[in-house]
Amino acid sequence: MSATTDSATNNHGHLDRVYVWEWPVRLFHWSIAASVVVLAVTGIYIGNPFLPVTGEATRHFVMGTMKSIHFIAAMVFLLSVLSRVLWMFAGNPYARWHQFVPVSARRLKGIWETAAFYLFLKKDSPAFVGHNPLAGLVYCVVYGLCFVMIATGLAMASASAHVDSMLSSFQFLIPLCGGLQMAHFLHHIGMWLIIGFVAHHVWSAFLVGTVERSSLIDSIFSGYKVLTPDIAHRARKHIEEDR
Amino acid sequence: MDKRTAEQDWFERELERRGVSRRDFLGFCGTMATALALPPLFGSRIARAVETAPKPTLVWLEFQDCAGNTESFLRASRPTVADIILDTLSIDYHETIMAAAGHQAEQNLSDAITRDHGAYIAVIEGSIPTGAGGAYCTIGGRSALDIAREVCEGAAATVAIGTCASFGGLPAAAPNPTGALSVADAVPGLENLINMPACPANGENLAALIVYYVTFGRLPELDGLRRPLYAYGKLIHDACEKRAHYDAGQYAEAWGDDGHRKGYCLYKMGCKGPVTHQNCPNVGWNENTNWPVGCGHPCIGCAEPSFWDRMTPFYRHLPEIPGLGPHTSLDKVGLGVTVGVGAAFATHTALHVARKNAERKRNAVKPEEGDEE
Repeated sequence: MSATTDSATNNHGHLDRVYVWEWPVRLFHWSIAASVVVLAVTGIYIGNPFLPVTGEATRHFVMGTMKSIHFIAAMVFLLSVLSRVLWMFAGNPYARWHQFVPVSARRLKGIWETAAFYLFLKKDSPAFVGHNPLAGLVYCVVYGLCFVMIATGLAMASASAHVDSMLSSFQFLIPLCGGLQMAHFLHHIGMWLIIGFVAHHVWSAFLVGTVERSSLIDSIFSGYKVLTPDIAHRARKHIEEDR
Repeated sequence: MDKRTAEQDWFERELERRGVSRRDFLGFCGTMATALALPPLFGSRIARAVETAPKPTLVWLEFQDCAGNTESFLRASRPTVADIILDTLSIDYHETIMAAAGHQAEQNLSDAITRDHGAYIAVIEGSIPTGAGGAYCTIGGRSALDIAREVCEGAAATVAIGTCASFGGLPAAAPNPTGALSVADAVPGLENLINMPACPANGENLAALIVYYVTFGRLPELDGLRRPLYAYGKLIHDACEKRAHYDAGQYAEAWGDDGHRKGYCLYKMGCKGPVTHQNCPNVGWNENTNWPVGCGHPCIGCAEPSFWDRMTPFYRHLPEIPGLGPHTSLDKVGLGVTVGVGAAFATHTALHVARKNAERKRNAVKPEEGDEE
C-alpha cells in the first residue's frame, strides 16, 4: 500500500468522517445520472428507430412514447443541471464554482500534479478533499456539453411547440444552433460525448473506489468522506470558516 | 346592396372571359382564407377586396435563378383564379413573360418604378452576385445589385421569392463562387421585405400574400427570418399526413420496401420534414394534386437557409461527419469512441494495479491488508 500519510485515499489507522457532499449535491448528481440514462436510451431510439412495429398505426405509439419519456427526462435533466449550477453559489466550499473553474494557485498547480499522477509520472495523488482540480476542469467541459444539449434540445422542441406556450419562446435558439438540422446533428454528437464521459466517469469512480480503496463511491450516497484525522480536521475547519 | 364599381364590373367580365364561374371564384377566396389561417368568414371579405380594391403594380426581377419560381407561379395547368388575381396586379415588368424586349423593356421597368414610386410590389427571384464587382449577372449593362437597390428601395414591399432570393440558395452554396447574397443581405435595411423561400416557392402562398395585402392593406405577420407565419409558421413534420406512422414507429427502410409501399414515414430515408418550415402538407402542389412526401419522396428541406449545404446528404437523417467520408455512421463512431474510452481506462487500471502490486512486493508490506473502513 502507498506509504503516504497525507493522502485522502489512505485508510491506515484511525479515520474520521466529514460531511462533504451536501444533500442537494447528491440529489442533483443522481437525478442527472438517472435522466442521462433515460435520455440516452430513448435518444438512441429517436435517432435510429430500430424496433419493428407492424399493423395499423393507430394501434401503436412507440416513437410517441419514446419522445414523451425523452421530454420528461429532459425537463428533469434541465432543472437538475440548473439547480446544481445555482448550488455552486450557495453550497459548502466543496460544491462551489471554484471547485470547477481553477482560479487559486494551489488548484492550478494541482491540475498538473493530478495529470502527472494519472500518467504514472508521480507516485502519489495530490490530496484534495473535494474534486481534484483536473476532474473539476473536466466537469467544466461536461457542464458546457450539458448546456449545448439543453440549448439544442430546447431549439428542436420550440419549433414544434404551440405558439402561446413557454417552450415556443426558445425559438431564438434555432439560428444560434445554426438551424434545426444542425441542432439535430449537435444533439446527436453531444449524446455520444456524454455517453463517452459516463464510461470514463463510472470507470474512474470504480478505479478510485476499489483500487485506491477510498470512500469516494460511498460518499456520493451518504455525503460523508472518510479521511485521515488531520485532513478531516482541515476540511471541517474549511467548511466552518466558510459559513 | 353595395354599389357596383367599374372595377367590379371589369373583374366579373374578366372572370367570365377566362371561364371562371362565380362559384370557382368564391371557392378560391375561401381557399385563400384557409391558406392565411383566417376563419372561413373572411372568404367574403377577401372576395369583396379582390373585386374592388385597386390592384398594385408588380415588378418581377430575375437575377441568379432558374425561373423555377416563375414556373411555379404561372403553373402550366388550367388557368386558375389565382392567375387572374396575379395578372390583374398588372405585371409591368417580368423578364420571362413580358412582351417587350430590349430598350423597350428597360423603359417599362423605369416607367413602372417612377410612376408608382413607393406603391409597387417588387418581387425578386434569384440571388444577387457581388463577386467581381457584380459582373456575374448584369442586365442591360447594369449589375443585379445596382438594379435591385433601385427597384427595392422604391417599392412598397419587396418579396424575395424562392430560396435563392430569400437565403442565397444554390448559387450561395459552398464555395459560393459568385459571392451570391440574398436580397436581405445584398440590399440591407429594407423595411417591408418578405422572404418566401422554397425551391421553388409555392404559387399558392404568393397568391395568398397578395390577397392579404389587397384585403387588409398591410403585410402579414412574419417570423424571425421574415417569412410569413401563415405559410412558414409550422414544421412540415407537424402537419404531415404520414405523422401517425412516425409516432407509431413505422418507417420505410428502403426504396420500394413493404413500409415504403404502405406509405410509412420517410424519417429513416432522410426526410427533412422535422427541420423544415413550410405548409406543403396543407396546400400541396399543382392545385393540391400531391406533394413530395405524399408521393413517397422525403422532404429535402429546400425552404430552409443554406439547405444545399446543411440538408445534404438528402437521403440520410443526419449530415456527414466532417473529414470522415460520406458513409460513416455517427452512431458507429460514437460507439467506437465509448468503447475506446472504456478500453483506455481498463488499460489504465491494469497498469495501475500492476504498479501497486510491484510496489507492494518491493516494500514487502503484508499483502492481505485493507478492509474498507
